[in-house]
Amino acid sequence: MSERKKLHPASVLLTALKELKELIIPVVVLLFLGDGEGSSIWRYLPLAAIGAAVLFIIVSSVVRWWRFTYWVEESELRIEYGLFVKKKRYIPIERIQSLDVSQGVLHQVFRLMKVKVETAGSSQGSKSEAELTAIGIEEAKSLQEAIQREKRRKKQVVEQEETSSYEKEEETQAFYRAHFTDLLLLAATSGGVGVVISAAAAFLSQFQEVIPYEAIFEEASHFVQLGAIFVAVSAFFVLLFAWIISFILTLLKYANFTLRKGEEDLIIQKGLLEKQQMTIPFNRIQGITIIENPLRQMLGFCMVRLESAGGAALEEGNMNTVIMPMIRKKKALPMLSELFPSYDFAVEFQGAPLRAAGRYMIRACLYIVIPVVLVIVLLWPLGLWALTALLLAAAYGYMCYKSAGWHIHEGQLAIRSRSLALHTSFMQKNRIQSLELSRTWRQRQRELATVRATIKSGMAGKEVRMVDVSSSEAKSIYSWYGTKKRE
Amino acid sequence: MEELGKRISKKALRVWRISGAIGTVVAWVIIAGVIAVIYIQSWPWWIAAILAAVGILEALAVIVIIPSLRWKRWRYEVREQEIELQRGVLIVRHTLIPMIRVQHVDTEQGPLLRKYGLGTIKVSTAATVHEIPAVEMGEAEEMRQVISSLARVAKEDV
Repeated sequence: MSERKKLHPASVLLTALKELKELIIPVVVLLFLGDGEGSSIWRYLPLAAIGAAVLFIIVSSVVRWWRFTYWVEESELRIEYGLFVKKKRYIPIERIQSLDVSQGVLHQVFRLMKVKVETAGSSQGSKSEAELTAIGIEEAKSLQEAIQREKRRKKQVVEQEETSSYEKEEETQAFYRAHFTDLLLLAATSGGVGVVISAAAAFLSQFQEVIPYEAIFEEASHFVQLGAIFVAVSAFFVLLFAWIISFILTLLKYANFTLRKGEEDLIIQKGLLEKQQMTIPFNRIQGITIIENPLRQMLGFCMVRLESAGGAALEEGNMNTVIMPMIRKKKALPMLSELFPSYDFAVEFQGAPLRAAGRYMIRACLYIVIPVVLVIVLLWPLGLWALTALLLAAAYGYMCYKSAGWHIHEGQLAIRSRSLALHTSFMQKNRIQSLELSRTWRQRQRELATVRATIKSGMAGKEVRMVDVSSSEAKSIYSWYGTKKRE
Repeated sequence: MEELGKRISKKALRVWRISGAIGTVVAWVIIAGVIAVIYIQSWPWWIAAILAAVGILEALAVIVIIPSLRWKRWRYEVREQEIELQRGVLIVRHTLIPMIRVQHVDTEQGPLLRKYGLGTIKVSTAATVHEIPAVEMGEAEEMRQVISSLARVAKEDV
């Protein structure tokens, strides 16, 4: 496999579409700018600019495809590319951690694959080391095999024993497959609702000029009750709409979710419209988090997530990877212990001391104190009802207090906390990058402390913390992490 | 928790006071501008009075009180296995960084620090960056070498 190869021509279309997508916002802005009155030149200038940009994107996509070649030579994956300047990138194969493949809709139509090359030390920049936008499925397979072969040869030089048993890795049985009913439940209780609501709100506000909201509200406010009903009904429909969209999106994202356990890595496959395959080497895993949002917690379900180091775009944007989207907690725990024998998942949490309960409740109330005061002032005396919100906040604070906990067992630190959803994080001492103990003036008086442990997650770090643990316990966590003997 | 052995350079006080003073001058210029506007627009004088009071208090805080408290609290220790930091005026923070987690160490010098022969040490792990401000430059250099040689001793994967 030493001859130079080109990407599939469809990649022209894919790159062009991707770039055009990024052009949408500037185009909208330009169109609005050009909307004002003025001389005719100003009116047509934006259109001309857009036309030029589109043309440039199309031409540059073709040129880029034309100039992009890749091949395997001298145990390196070599790529040459570049629009104006020819760039060469040679990646030694033993540095390649994994090839992550995914398929969008277009890929599926043409039977193509997008291949991302992840290397061990891709710590500069957030992009993966190299990306092949679209190559044939057979191509992708043979590339994968070529890399496997190369890796194996390298390995054999080092240690002669390992000769066979490598082929099996590809065919390992699925360790876990998400049931369709579970996925339905996952989608139904999806937490992405908030995002979609705000998107919908933004979307609706675009129509301010088309729909005479003010007139509607003025009309309605003549009958206050009618107005309230109107607001409630429309809010309900917005919520319902948001929920349906997030339901569909979640279902598409996690459809056919399969987790395989290889010898050295975990392999995840998922997605319906956009098929994805990801490989996470075991030795890159930094921590494991079990997440239960309130609804799922009531039903006894949870989601399991991994933090892993480096290996750029595991999941666009954030570096945590879901390994079990929706599973009964009772079933998840034994499976996790099987996957990660060095972790201990059966832990009894040590909670925050009783004197911290009030602080948790007051903190929760602080967030909403300003809106509550505003409502009371503006809608006196009816606004006094807003005080009930403080009760709710206090109850939420109490729940957070009840959930907070920590546990140390040998080399493992587990911390549980709640921010609406219950997060239980398991970290190993040799994966914690640094540990901090902090005390505010008030905490010092009440003998409380906050403990923060930072683990690596992708390019950056993730902080796991336990607020208001008793001082003496905080110190024991601190000295567990440190090496200095303390009395 | 017991106090750690090393303090940062006493000259740090000087540097912090000077940089506090520079910030205060900027703040006062802005406040003077606002007071001028208040005078021209003949808005109530008490707004100007409050602003002036805020300016004076700020100066007192950033030039006199905070630097000395901050210096008093700042302690650190570089040991064979780990680095420990201890600092903070309102929030007292203790941080542990194991040597094997240290990825690299930098020393930095701004113009003000250079004038006083001081440097800032920055210790980076894979996920975090920790600063020890205002250490004597010679000592900072030495410490950088010590830390990077200690950090090199045992290296597992990230």
